[in-house]
Amino acid sequence: QTVVKMATLAPEGSSWYRVLQEMGEEWRKASGGAVVLRIYPGGVAGDEDAMIRKMRVGQIQAAAITGIGLAYLDRSFYALHIPMMYASDEEFDYVRDRYAPVLEKHMAEKGFVVLNWGDAGWVHFFSKMPVVTPAEAKALKLFMWSGDTTLVQLYKETGFHPVPLSTADLLPSLQTGMVNGFSSTPLASLAFQWFGLAPNMADLRYAPLTGATVIEKKAWEKIPAELRPKLLEASRAAGKKLRVEIRRLNQEALAVMVKNGLKVHDVPPEVQAQWRKMVEDIHPRVRGNIMPAEAFDAVKGYRDEYRAAQSTRKDEAR
Amino acid sequence: MEAPPESPSLPPVDPAAGVPPRGEARSGAGEPLPDSLAARVENAVSIALLVGMAVLPLLEIVGRRVWRTGIPGSNALVQHATLWLGCLGGAIAARDGQLLSIGRLADRFPEPYRRILSAFTAAVSTAISLLLAWSGFQLVRAEWADRHYVVPILPLWVAEAVIPAGFLLIAWRLVRSSSRDGWTRAAVAAAAVAGVAFVGSGVILGTVPFAAALVTLLLAVILGAPLFAALGGLAVLLFRHADVPLASISAEIYRIVTSPTLPTIPLFGFAGYVLTVGNVSRRLVRFFRAFVGWMPGGIAVVTVLVCTFFTTFTGASGVTIVALGGILLPALLVERYPERFSLGLLTSSGSLGLLFPPCLPVILYGVVAGIAVDKMFLGGLLPGILLTAIMSAWAAWGGVRAGARRTPFSVGELGAAAREAKWDLLLPVIVLVGIFGGIATTVEAAAMTVLYAVCVEAFVHRDTGLRKLLREAGTETSRLVGGFLLLLAAATGLTGYMVDAGVPQAIFEWVRQTIDSRFTFLLVLNVFLLVVGAFMHIFSAIVIVVPIIAPLAAAFDVHPVHLGIIFLANLELGFLMPPVGMNLFMSAYRFGKPFGEVCRSIVPFLLILLAGVLVITYVPALTTALLPK
Ligand code: NA
Ligand code: NA
Repeated sequence: QTVVKMATLAPEGSSWYRVLQEMGEEWRKASGGAVVLRIYPGGVAGDEDAMIRKMRVGQIQAAAITGIGLAYLDRSFYALHIPMMYASDEEFDYVRDRYAPVLEKHMAEKGFVVLNWGDAGWVHFFSKMPVVTPAEAKALKLFMWSGDTTLVQLYKETGFHPVPLSTADLLPSLQTGMVNGFSSTPLASLAFQWFGLAPNMADLRYAPLTGATVIEKKAWEKIPAELRPKLLEASRAAGKKLRVEIRRLNQEALAVMVKNGLKVHDVPPEVQAQWRKMVEDIHPRVRGNIMPAEAFDAVKGYRDEYRAAQSTRKDEAR
Repeated sequence: MEAPPESPSLPPVDPAAGVPPRGEARSGAGEPLPDSLAARVENAVSIALLVGMAVLPLLEIVGRRVWRTGIPGSNALVQHATLWLGCLGGAIAARDGQLLSIGRLADRFPEPYRRILSAFTAAVSTAISLLLAWSGFQLVRAEWADRHYVVPILPLWVAEAVIPAGFLLIAWRLVRSSSRDGWTRAAVAAAAVAGVAFVGSGVILGTVPFAAALVTLLLAVILGAPLFAALGGLAVLLFRHADVPLASISAEIYRIVTSPTLPTIPLFGFAGYVLTVGNVSRRLVRFFRAFVGWMPGGIAVVTVLVCTFFTTFTGASGVTIVALGGILLPALLVERYPERFSLGLLTSSGSLGLLFPPCLPVILYGVVAGIAVDKMFLGGLLPGILLTAIMSAWAAWGGVRAGARRTPFSVGELGAAAREAKWDLLLPVIVLVGIFGGIATTVEAAAMTVLYAVCVEAFVHRDTGLRKLLREAGTETSRLVGGFLLLLAAATGLTGYMVDAGVPQAIFEWVRQTIDSRFTFLLVLNVFLLVVGAFMHIFSAIVIVVPIIAPLAAAFDVHPVHLGIIFLANLELGFLMPPVGMNLFMSAYRFGKPFGEVCRSIVPFLLILLAGVLVITYVPALTTALLPK
């Protein structure tokens, strides 16, 4: 019997956790009980950098982790999270599905196997006072995770006022006014109750946040070769299910927060254009600095390809 | 620690009164080497680390205003400085014979048994240090593969390398202090290496060798092995027996010791020692005597209130003892409070205040359990007042019973005392303005406290020169922080094992199946949380245990906020639980008392607080009365 220990930030009882549990059940069935998945939920194994470290030393074998956590291993993952790059779920799915094999190859080089791709939702701006335009967002004392110094520096150069802190500091800092805004998915904002202290949200899909389930290569290869395709298949099915589920739950979270006092502010098309321009102006500094140039070019290529295909389809319909 | 000059207006007071020479808490038999070059370098590096830890957050506060983003990576640097200080300080504590142990049974045997038993104890402790060093080395090797950087010029593996280096240094010092005789030292080293080979081999996977190793460890602990070796050794054996890589221990040590709020411990500790080396205790004692000295038990009540207040904004219970212990203990002794009573009062007051805003554990609990933080604070208000009130009452009664001295009230003396102590009394204001004014995080507020304390002592009162101030306070702090972090690290390894093996889940699975009444559930919950509080760091306990018990408590119809307050109140008490409560370690270190004496001193206070916690548990209205309907 092989026990695969898997860590995740998703709390016990959350939908992500439930999907992982079902995946474990599928693994058990597919392997006839030879492979058992043991889940460590709610970050008991630590933050995502600690999960990666514990996979490296062999304490755990797998992790269900966000794209930002994976960027710790390979900065190419940032390419999936470029702000204002993707206009819709469909567009993002198109790019991610095409770029995923490249990322999986990078991960394989680092000694990890990607079992599936999940989703965490769209990152939005939350703030104490209403924020709609880029200028208003730049005026915020914006919470930023202090772990990535280059990224903090970029925001500073773009004209933002980032306050680099640890995630544990976010809630108390919102309370004392040391920060008055942050960016996050609706689901996380509700789960951690951050929105209570920053009850305004711009209705702007600033950036997508992915997730993936990865397993350490040596641990994966210890599983009998004839079982691996079956396990992989079960994992991929779980990933698809999660993607649908999370999108629904983010909508639900939004509704719950609105009921509890969150105000959602409309961002008109011309202001959305301002946001896009702001980000596109700094693309030269993102490309090759925050992420490898080829990663940036690849996702932008796929996105333009999707948009071209869409407009052709529209033309044909006309 | 140096005794401040005596004031003519007061009877002779020595802050070190009743504090035995450093040797009593030690476990090794070797001589400290205060003047060796290596020792001076170690001390200097630890002081430099402490000063750096205080300066960086201050630059960050200024930098955030002036060039908007502060110092890139300053948080990460300060967090890693805590790790370095912990490892270096642990080695310094080993050097100075300051490693805490439960007792030294070996000393009660006649020679030559005594010598043999001491050598055995040293060999076991050395073997464990070596195994922990090996665990650290494996972590460094794994990290090396990923080539991460703490800040652009500092690779993460270099930062982590202090873990194996620190444990190696400790192992070396354990061998050195095991005996004066070279042959015995060689025998200890050889036995330790044999022990490492035994635990490192596959033999340990079997039940009988595993049990034999456990018994050996237990024997060494009873005979006087340091406590860190007991906890760390248990972790090593359990992980090895479960065939989980030993590097897991170091990975968890790294994670916990670099956690964002931990730097408050060395910083507030440093500030506390700076104030102690200066004459703040004399000034504060004079002020408090003039202020409440006329009341029966006045100073004791002040002790409770000051400790509560301090814990509330530092959020970490052990910090209070470090920062205030050196000031308040002499204040109590000079009023003729019995020594054991004073020790117990300070040790137990050091954990009060955890339920009041803006205490970090309350915020963290709210975050983890998904409860609005203001609700948690409202719920904690009455229970917090209850615990503080019964402690104050007991303290006052203790003062009356002991016939502690009372001072007649005089407006003139109060005014003079207040004028003299005004800069010291302003200290909490600085911290509160820093935190609530949105200027500083807790760590930054701690750094502000250090700066303020140094300025007050070195430039306002000028009792002590700046160099001497930093040197004396810095050395004391690193020794204390090192010893403490070494224990935290060892306990962390053990916690890591329990999480890895799913122990908390197993316990609660059992509870789910066997308990059916709410009354029994709450009782079992109390016992469980007391144990958890004794073994785990409060933040880890919240993160790990809350998600497991919250659904269970809901099934027994316990209000979520009530559960939170029960949880935190029990953890507050867990800090005092012999034999592993962190406050007991802190207290033994800070006051230089034998561990057993600290444990005995807190018994009455522990019972009083236990009664309070039971009231909080079984009278939910105390918590829910103030909550919005
Ligand atoms: Na950390
Ligand atoms: Na922690």
